[in-house]
Amino acid sequence: MSTFDATGSDARRPFTGRRARPGDLLLQGVAALAALGATVLVVLIAYKVVDGARLSLSTFGLGFLTHTVWDPVHGRFGAAEFLGDTALTSIGALVLATPLALGIALFLTELAPRWVRGPVTALVETLAAIPSVVIGLWGILVLGPVMRDHVIPALHSVLGFIPLFGPASTGSTVFTAIIVLTIMILPIVSSISRELFLGVPAELKEAAFGLGATRWEVVRGVMFPYARGGVAAAMILGLGRAVGEAIAVAQVIGAFDNGFSWNLGNPGDTLAAKIALDYQGATTKLEISSLFYLGVILLVFSLVVNLLAQWIVRRVSRRQGLAR
Amino acid sequence: MPKHGMIVRTSLVLVAAALVSGLAVNAAGAAGKKHHVRLSGTLNGAGSSLIAPAIQAMWSPDFKAKGVTVNYASVGSGAGIAQITARTVDFGASDAPMTGAQAAACKGCVQIPWALTSTSVVVNVPGVHQGQLHLTGGVVAKIYLGQITKWNDPAIKALNPGLSLPDLKITVAHRSDGSGDTYAFTNYLHKVSAPWRHQVGYATSVNWPVGVGGKGNSGVAAVIGSTPGSIGYVSVAYVLQNHLTLAKMKNASGKYTLPTIKSIESAAQLVKAHKIPANNAISITDAPKTKNKKYANAYPLATFTYIIVPKKSPQAALIKAWINFAMSAPEQKRIQKLVFAPMPKVVVDAAKKTLKKIHS
Repeated sequence: MSTFDATGSDARRPFTGRRARPGDLLLQGVAALAALGATVLVVLIAYKVVDGARLSLSTFGLGFLTHTVWDPVHGRFGAAEFLGDTALTSIGALVLATPLALGIALFLTELAPRWVRGPVTALVETLAAIPSVVIGLWGILVLGPVMRDHVIPALHSVLGFIPLFGPASTGSTVFTAIIVLTIMILPIVSSISRELFLGVPAELKEAAFGLGATRWEVVRGVMFPYARGGVAAAMILGLGRAVGEAIAVAQVIGAFDNGFSWNLGNPGDTLAAKIALDYQGATTKLEISSLFYLGVILLVFSLVVNLLAQWIVRRVSRRQGLAR
Repeated sequence: MPKHGMIVRTSLVLVAAALVSGLAVNAAGAAGKKHHVRLSGTLNGAGSSLIAPAIQAMWSPDFKAKGVTVNYASVGSGAGIAQITARTVDFGASDAPMTGAQAAACKGCVQIPWALTSTSVVVNVPGVHQGQLHLTGGVVAKIYLGQITKWNDPAIKALNPGLSLPDLKITVAHRSDGSGDTYAFTNYLHKVSAPWRHQVGYATSVNWPVGVGGKGNSGVAAVIGSTPGSIGYVSVAYVLQNHLTLAKMKNASGKYTLPTIKSIESAAQLVKAHKIPANNAISITDAPKTKNKKYANAYPLATFTYIIVPKKSPQAALIKAWINFAMSAPEQKRIQKLVFAPMPKVVVDAAKKTLKKIHS
């Protein structure tokens, strides 16, 4: 943290000193233009999406959020089922990915022998580089049948009293989508957590060890509290990724649009997957507009997610700054 | 009142357009007789993924030899209609005819049937082999409505006395993306089943009462391939290339048939010239009953696919040449490899009549 500040002020000093140089002005102009361009682009995209949704917004209003039907033939559209399945898949993925990611991060920072850390870190990051469409293919061909034949029946026989763990008739299920999303957000959460754990001041850990704490006690008493806010932010970023993922989910979730079900063994459909699947084939203006409406919901959600993550990071860093 | 005015204005425009196009055609005809004009230029099209292999692998290279480059983007029927409506391409291609609203939005577009193919019903039932299972439209509708849920249901057994059908749950598979296959399939169920008509209807994507969706033909095929007890509909070219198990469908003449070039062609041959509407939207699913033995094998899920072009286009000459070329006998024969059947004469005649409306 402190070295960061130093380089920052070092870099700023020459600019303030020689303001009149044309090269500096040019740099400032180009940089400002780039920043402005990005901002304008975001605003324009948001405007276009809302504009596209106008017909559906005026036709269905907020009732769109509570209706479960998606019927292009009769022109009735609602997002409730997609909202439910989006929540189910993204929260499910987060629940599975977070402990795994923390485990990976701890292993790579604390437990693994030094020669293992480099390669394993690289491999975990590679997971993030696999195109989602490829993970989706693997989901259809490999994961889906395994889920249907082994995982879901096993969970159903043990935990069948919970409505989430019902039976499945095909491999295209909400549960398959959850696993695919878990794989996709795992590297995000784990690499951020790893950075956070690496950032835990060595003197804190040494002090704890010096007091006779075990490794687990150091992890629980020093590292987790120190990284808590950052891990929360990482989880929220992962959540954003899971909510927005379209292609891989569209490939494995089975596109069932006729009502929400708690059974993870049933097919379902998410906001992003619905847009990806239906936009090309949409025929009526109202259907296209309703797809844009789904886009508006996604946009609002990702905005909230990002602001929330930033707010958490800011609050945590401020608190830690005060503590020190 | 304003509606009335609109109709008058539109018909005036149509009369004017017809006059102009008549003149243009005459002039072109005269010029064509005098000397053979070599074409040149570029046409851009977008739409149906069903027709894409025919265009990209066969028609386009052949037409290039005549001097015209045809670029085609396989973006899906709905997007094809959207693009021609916005005039970002010279032609669109769609497996479903335009809806009234789409035709109105496209402002002076015509649709011309230019190829003939079919979707088909495939199953994965243990112990049932290629073409063994007999089904009717009514039973398929009940399966897709979730009313028949087991393979040993009495309704299915009654159609298949010689077959031992397992006590197995039926898994219904359908397309999750909008598609011409869905259009043909639901159009057929719409015709043969009143409950289907009332509850679901037909379109390129519908509100499925039950089942699991797969993206594209390959997505549906993946579900069927990996799920014993499943049924689905898949484009016939895809079925034949990937050796899926077809069910025989009962047609209006009472015969159980498989989709072949011949049986698809038969369905189209039953189209009567006077039954072709002005907008060329020809539905040949559930082809009518016939006494003509030659066409008694008509497959009930056959469907036309359309090219959509604006009546007034700066590329009119090239567009006309392109459509004429695609509908010519040798080119139609060439795409039989992709299981497109030859178009019947009445439909070709109707198409040619529409073609005359295109002018620059």
